[in-house]
Amino acid sequence: MKPTPEQIAAFADGELGERERMAVETAIAADPALARQVAAHRALRQRLGSHFAPITDEVVPDHLTALLAKPTAPVIDLSAERTRRRTLPRWTWIAGPALAASLALMVMWTTQADQRPGLVGEQLASALDNQLVAEQPADAPIRVLLSFRDAKGTYCRAFAGRTESGIACRDEAGWTLRAGAGGSQASAGEYRQAGSEAEIMQAAQDLAAEPALDDAGERTARQRGWRPAR
Amino acid sequence: MTSSVPSMRKARNLADPFADDILALLPRLRRFAAGLSRAQGEADDLCQATVERALRNRDKWQAGTRIDSWMYRLMRNIWIDEVRARTRRHETFVDEDAGLTVGTSGGQEERVALGDIDRALALLPDEQREAVLLVMVEGWSYKEAAEIVGCPVGTLNSRLVRGRDALLARLGEAA
Repeated sequence: MKPTPEQIAAFADGELGERERMAVETAIAADPALARQVAAHRALRQRLGSHFAPITDEVVPDHLTALLAKPTAPVIDLSAERTRRRTLPRWTWIAGPALAASLALMVMWTTQADQRPGLVGEQLASALDNQLVAEQPADAPIRVLLSFRDAKGTYCRAFAGRTESGIACRDEAGWTLRAGAGGSQASAGEYRQAGSEAEIMQAAQDLAAEPALDDAGERTARQRGWRPAR
Repeated sequence: MTSSVPSMRKARNLADPFADDILALLPRLRRFAAGLSRAQGEADDLCQATVERALRNRDKWQAGTRIDSWMYRLMRNIWIDEVRARTRRHETFVDEDAGLTVGTSGGQEERVALGDIDRALALLPDEQREAVLLVMVEGWSYKEAAEIVGCPVGTLNSRLVRGRDALLARLGEAA
């Protein structure tokens, strides 16, 4: 058998099947010229490999890693998020019953320092105490996105405001922040910042034990001061 | 107030396996780009374009399949498109002296940095160069390399042999 150049190269690369490999091996053993070719192929591979090897040890330039570190990935990407919201929001199951037209109820918004860490400020607390998803004005300083109960039956409300957005839950002491992020800067009329609200919705869904409260559920909870039923 | 609670942004950034996988592949992708390109700046651009295309097309990558060969395929296709675009613009992409003059500034450093191997590779036809790089530098099997290029294994094999014979002849390692 006289091996083809392709077979010699494939032999050198360990690419031949068992039977072909043995045949080529026999031919090589009988022909020093073929053996030299195999050696040359392997030496070339070695030389090419070590020529390019140092590149993999270099520090990858920042502009490349930055592409991947930037908050552009799926949940983060605003345009991707909008697309998803148009098609199949991941938080559909929780938001469904609570998606309703909104009207009325203004909440005064002034700045005041927190008294206790973790507890929300008075204005936010007031909004969380009183505002109903179905009745709040579109341009309310704080909009409640939805209300739900966590696994322990604690009432929680997701909200979006100009200075902060997040999820607060009502315990004995008051409304305590469970998750938070910077506020959305969108004013009424502008497209609401889908990204941050989508994040909150996602976090709400992770916390929630059951679908969000509907309008009647919110009214009942408000009457109870957002405390679990005995 | 918000500082006392976990930031959603941070939590989310930790969990993007897709981006993490690409990040881990960057050293290999840079090596492949360096082999395909004929100048350092070109290799960086190729790498950046590949990562950007991957991020735009992440929904086309099927979870559970190999992301490394998918990335190699993206890079290879971008490179081919670029080569063809240049050809259409009638630019002289490479000629016998190309290896000596890569780096349009003509600076000393580029001339010195460009070794025998770079020159020999630059003279190979593109289809041979990619075959040689994929198998002999990047370590793909013939079958994997053929899938990345999108050709039959036999075709890949013969391009590879022609490419390495030319390299052996130029580099003086022929038996």
